[in-house]
Amino acid sequence: MSLDHFMTLLGILVILPPAILLATLGLSTLVNRPLGETWTSRLSQVCVSTGLAAAVVMLVMMLTLNTRFVPIELGNLVTIPQQHFHFHLKFVFDRLSVPFVILSYVLGGTVGAFTTRYLHRERGYNRFSLCYAFFMLGMIVTSLAGTIEVLFLGWELVGLSSALLVAYFHERPSPVINGLRVWTVYRLADAAFLIAAVAMHHLTGEGDFSVLMGSGPWPAGKAALTGGQAIFVGALLLIAAAGKSAMIPFSGWLPRAMEGPTPSSAIFYGALSVHLGAFLLLRVSPILEQSVLLSVLVVLMGLTTALYAAITARVQSDIKSSLAYASLTQVGIIVAEIGFGLRYIALIHIIGHACLRTLQLLRAPTLLRDYQTMENAIGGRLHSHPSSWQQRLSPTTRVWWYRFAFERGYFDSFLNEYIVAPFQAIFEWCDGMERRWTDFLAGGQSRESDVVEAQPHVVEQMEM
Amino acid sequence: MSQSSTCGEGSSVDNAADTDHSTLKHLIEHAAHVLPSQGAITAFVHHNTLHAFEDLPFDVAVRLGAEVFGCRPYLPEERFREEVTRGRIRPQDLEAVLIEDLSEEADELIGSLGTRFHLRMAMLEHPLQTGSLHELRWAVEETDALRKFREETPLVLRSEIIAATKQWVMRELTNGRQGHGTSDQSHPGSDPVTRVFELFGQSNVEKWDDAIWEAFTLHLLWWICRDGVEGVEPENPERHLPVRPRDLLLDVTGEDADRPVHELLIRFCAAFLDQGFADWPLPNREAGLYHAFIEVDRHAGGPPDRWMRGLGKELQRLHLQQVSALESIQESLDLFGVDEDSREEFITQTLLALRGFAGMIWQMETRGDRVEHPAPQGSLIDFLAIRLILDRFSAAYFARRVGFRGPLCELSSTLGQRLHRSSHAEVETRAYLVFQLAQVRGWEPHQLHELSQSVWRKLIREIESFSSLQRRRVYQLAYERKYNVSLLDAVAVHSQRTREPDDTPAFQVVCCIDDREESYRRHLEEIAQDCETFGFAGFFAVAMYYRGAADAYYLPLCPVVIKPSHYVCEEVAYSFEGTHRRRTEVRRALGTASHHLHQGSRTFWGGILTGVLGAVASIPLVARVLAPRTTSEMVKLFGGFVRTPPITQLTLERVEPDPGPDEGHLGYSINEMAGIVERVLRDIGLTSNFARLVIFTGHGSSSLNNPHESAYNCGACAGGRGGPNARAFAQMANDPRIRRMLADRGLPIPETTVFVGTYHNTCDDSVMYFDLDRLPTSHRHDFDRAKTCIDQARQRNAHERCRRFESAKLSLTPPQALKHVEGRSVDLSQARPEYNHATNAVTIVGRRWRFRGLFLDRRAFLASYDPVQDDANSTILERILQPAVPVCAGISLEYYFSCVDPEGWGCGSKLPHNVTSLLGVMSGAASDLRPGLSQQMIEIHEPIRQVFLIESTPDAMLRIMEDNEDIRKLCVNNWVYLATLDPHSSQIHVFRSGRFEPYVPQTHELPFVGSSQDWYRGWRENLGFASIKNGSSGVVTTGRFAQQGGA
Repeated sequence: MSLDHFMTLLGILVILPPAILLATLGLSTLVNRPLGETWTSRLSQVCVSTGLAAAVVMLVMMLTLNTRFVPIELGNLVTIPQQHFHFHLKFVFDRLSVPFVILSYVLGGTVGAFTTRYLHRERGYNRFSLCYAFFMLGMIVTSLAGTIEVLFLGWELVGLSSALLVAYFHERPSPVINGLRVWTVYRLADAAFLIAAVAMHHLTGEGDFSVLMGSGPWPAGKAALTGGQAIFVGALLLIAAAGKSAMIPFSGWLPRAMEGPTPSSAIFYGALSVHLGAFLLLRVSPILEQSVLLSVLVVLMGLTTALYAAITARVQSDIKSSLAYASLTQVGIIVAEIGFGLRYIALIHIIGHACLRTLQLLRAPTLLRDYQTMENAIGGRLHSHPSSWQQRLSPTTRVWWYRFAFERGYFDSFLNEYIVAPFQAIFEWCDGMERRWTDFLAGGQSRESDVVEAQPHVVEQMEM
Repeated sequence: MSQSSTCGEGSSVDNAADTDHSTLKHLIEHAAHVLPSQGAITAFVHHNTLHAFEDLPFDVAVRLGAEVFGCRPYLPEERFREEVTRGRIRPQDLEAVLIEDLSEEADELIGSLGTRFHLRMAMLEHPLQTGSLHELRWAVEETDALRKFREETPLVLRSEIIAATKQWVMRELTNGRQGHGTSDQSHPGSDPVTRVFELFGQSNVEKWDDAIWEAFTLHLLWWICRDGVEGVEPENPERHLPVRPRDLLLDVTGEDADRPVHELLIRFCAAFLDQGFADWPLPNREAGLYHAFIEVDRHAGGPPDRWMRGLGKELQRLHLQQVSALESIQESLDLFGVDEDSREEFITQTLLALRGFAGMIWQMETRGDRVEHPAPQGSLIDFLAIRLILDRFSAAYFARRVGFRGPLCELSSTLGQRLHRSSHAEVETRAYLVFQLAQVRGWEPHQLHELSQSVWRKLIREIESFSSLQRRRVYQLAYERKYNVSLLDAVAVHSQRTREPDDTPAFQVVCCIDDREESYRRHLEEIAQDCETFGFAGFFAVAMYYRGAADAYYLPLCPVVIKPSHYVCEEVAYSFEGTHRRRTEVRRALGTASHHLHQGSRTFWGGILTGVLGAVASIPLVARVLAPRTTSEMVKLFGGFVRTPPITQLTLERVEPDPGPDEGHLGYSINEMAGIVERVLRDIGLTSNFARLVIFTGHGSSSLNNPHESAYNCGACAGGRGGPNARAFAQMANDPRIRRMLADRGLPIPETTVFVGTYHNTCDDSVMYFDLDRLPTSHRHDFDRAKTCIDQARQRNAHERCRRFESAKLSLTPPQALKHVEGRSVDLSQARPEYNHATNAVTIVGRRWRFRGLFLDRRAFLASYDPVQDDANSTILERILQPAVPVCAGISLEYYFSCVDPEGWGCGSKLPHNVTSLLGVMSGAASDLRPGLSQQMIEIHEPIRQVFLIESTPDAMLRIMEDNEDIRKLCVNNWVYLATLDPHSSQIHVFRSGRFEPYVPQTHELPFVGSSQDWYRGWRENLGFASIKNGSSGVVTTGRFAQQGGA
């Protein structure tokens, strides 16, 4: 077996396990024979450890062989010759993707093991595992994507599973409402991403990153776009990244996403999925180099997000929201680092931050005990010291800033009132017109749904 | 916005305003009593969820509670039916409770259709489908409901009905019905037979096979039922319109006006209640909730939400005109147009809409001594004021969206008119019940067809009066009856098999009365047949504020009803003073560092640093999750270098006359200590026959990632760990001066007796011994023996507990089981470190030897009490029961309610819990505070009311109930069951409707097994009772042939 073959095999071994996990769990659920808790957890352990081992061997091989770029070609998924389009399944192992894949496997595997016990006897165990498998596959595909289409595929899988896991406790209204909110923001980000992908195809005729970014291995590539094109595509990608990483003005969804079981919050919003936006920017970072304006935009977006989140984190009185904003602060800083061109630092920052935040979120429920331990060690109550800038403000300004932080920067309200509400108004108007038309055609009331009670009376066994 | 127009005549400058306000205040405080009364989660105290309703009989209270809180009163009917299917509720239980419930009304006849008893039994035994009109129509049209008989109908009955129907219609047919069909076309409702024939076509009726006849019969039955029901108008109770506009809006529009209000209010209340979590506390918190809210939100430039438009202006007005919270409430009530009569309900419902936070505010206001940052007086009024202001804006906004433009006070009446709720008992729904019952009771179509209107009316009233709620009430009784009968039978038999031991035991162990110590004691007794065990509330009468050597502050260790006046702290032995000081310094440095890390990682600059270096965190992360037990051992090993030195002492003896927290005032006087020791020993009846070693065992529980950790601790120590109490008690009882005083009081303790304090961790089943350095050398041997037995008992106890954990294999050996539970307690990912009080079902008060060796399956609270040593007035029993009945009943009832409706009364699933303000949990990102127990805590519990079985006479109990209202109302109102076991025989009396009746055992059998393990091995579910041969040296092994006592 030649070395190339070996590397290809190794690459496939990294990608395949989550796909197998998803296929097994998904098919068994589809034929209504879900695996039990034991088998599900064993399978996911095997898959994750195989993938992780393969990724580590890959890393070692790359280091010893001193290669910085290993592409894995798996052929075309879809080909439309007339349109010169092919959905090219290509994965790359380079300095960006290998650390990210290992990080995903380590954190994903740990959280998977955690979940086995945490969700024991839970009715939705299988549903959770399925979403988890979707997520793992999405993360691996995104990290290793060699073309923008493949990246989009993984990105979508992550988005779908995130939204479903936010709404995991679907018996209560608020997880569902918040899940929908996450989903909506993700769709917006996806739309921007898709337009960017199409534009890139249009401009370069290829979705392949190596063509797009020049042939040098990451991060040395040079984008084949002019400054103007770079701004257009880059701005779209920035919107996509902002949506996925909850940057301004989309930040509102991040604390709302803390509805699922603790481990899912940990891995999604503390660790991996919140960094995907930053990852995307890292991946396309050669584009940023083409335009100073774009870099400035990225830095601004990152810094304002970080500052905003840092202030907001200070007023949160529950552990999960507090950690959500703490995460956001760092994501903002990471994005700013990318804008400044500090790519390796950004990568290290992502890895370190993801590990730390996962640990913190996983042990969030133990907060009371941790506080007691710290108080006992210190020998008194814990006091938080107001930061120095806070003390320098006049009382009125301080109240204003408190309110700003307390209301989470008003971003949700702005989006609701100035984006959502007008949209809704337009659609309601259309709906009204349609109703008139159908009523006219039917010569009377045309909608059965109108007579159904808004709140069907639940026949719970309450009546006397 | 129509906020300014009120419906009443301008009332704010009324002379009677002051009295108005005091009544209003009174109303609010009255309403506050129904709020959840759980305080900060860090000191979790179990209590009856419906404590406020204890003056009412249980069944009335749960029904009322269900209405007020919108939660379930009993388990859902499907759950009960599952219990019927799996034999947990037997038909004979149902029959027995039904007969008792109906008494002489049982035999009332309903036409020719049988008695009321039979009808009700049929309704209990077979599932009755019901649902919305659409669901039933679907069932009738799309399922086999009209083609095939119900599965429960016996085949014989089925063919009988079909045959009878066939005969009947053929007879009708030959009697010249053919002509009728066409003539009655204009009134299709006139004759069901005709109608069904039209459907089936009567031309080749002779050729019909059985299937067609079955379908025909059922169709006929259905139409006859429909017609019969149609003639009986539904009893429509006056539907009470909801008082809150939000509820009406929800009904009419499907939109929840509380959602935006809660989104804001939850965050605001959390910030207000915060005990120091947020780095930036709420400005002006000390001015109270109302003023802080006005201060933050009155300025311009707030969030642009449409529903809040105008809020700033309104708050500014309140601020400028100095409107007080009460005045503002009055304004809001006027604006909503709430009249005097519905005022109380309106306020109650408004408070209950966010009951978790409202309750916590009330707790912090009234029991401020339990938290660091209490809420100022009047906080609940402030809360209500803000809530109503926000409600006004929200209601107006949502009303505008459905086109309502009038003043708010007209909103309710306008919406009430729009509420076109049809009488929800439609004909189909009601007929379907009769239809189903007819099949299981074997009522034939023609039989029903011939019923007169009045019999139909009676039948339907009869069916409808035995509604789901009533059925569940009966199921509940049957559910409890099975357990109670087997318990009393077992006690009646077992108490004949035991006799009083006469030797001096080798060692004696005193535990908490906690149900989790039942198995520990039982195993200990099996291992060392020559030991004796006792139960006393785990604070051992040492009510104190306690501070350990490594603790930051004093914590109360006594039942929550007692406010201790004594302070005790642990001090490191003088010779270790230097080490202690050094280690304290190191600990402080480490603590400060981890606090900085904790906070810093959430800030801008600190976050960068920790973020970049964060990869280090993956080591503890992976280790903790993959190998929890090893990791915790490593941590313990390293922790050893900074832990307090091993030799410490309690500052137990006071020098100054008054107790207090200052130097010299710590501890107890000799006299007080003697009182404590005497009290405990007399209560448990340990006044003679002292062993050489008496071990007092406090208990607690430690687990990770568990905000409810305190709930697993000792209930008698207010959610604290009872080790220090046991230690303090042992130290007191060992003091020769105290022993001299006790001897003077007629309670001599032999000099050879030594007391030792220990601490039992019920989660990892470890036992810690205190002050062994003071153990006399003469007692080393005794101690070694006891310790060996205890170590074995720990393993067996862990083993018995493991049978309940689905993730522990049933094939574990006791040492493996111990390892398993050790792993559970240090596992971050473990949502069930232990099962706490789940499955608790009985409290037994009496001499241990009478119950020793009876397998109680960790379901019993065991308090020791010797009726023979008590005085004629039962003083000792009274003082045991005074705390025991409310506390044990509280635990049992909290489990009952959280189990019956985990989302409603309990705190839902533990998985999405989010610790808020350091004093409670929310579900997910933002929800109301969730009091109660979690799904994971109650999943193996059976919601039954507790039985108090007391070794005493009925007369003594009647006297105690008469003098103690708290005990009386629980017993008389059926919140608990009460029974007595005669001190001198096996005669049991049960307390029923206000008096004691002798109990007649249903069986004289009780299995005999060699050891507990023989009995429970291989089982996961609740187990029945058994006598254990090895359990007691006194068990008479001839079993039921033993003739003893006066039974």
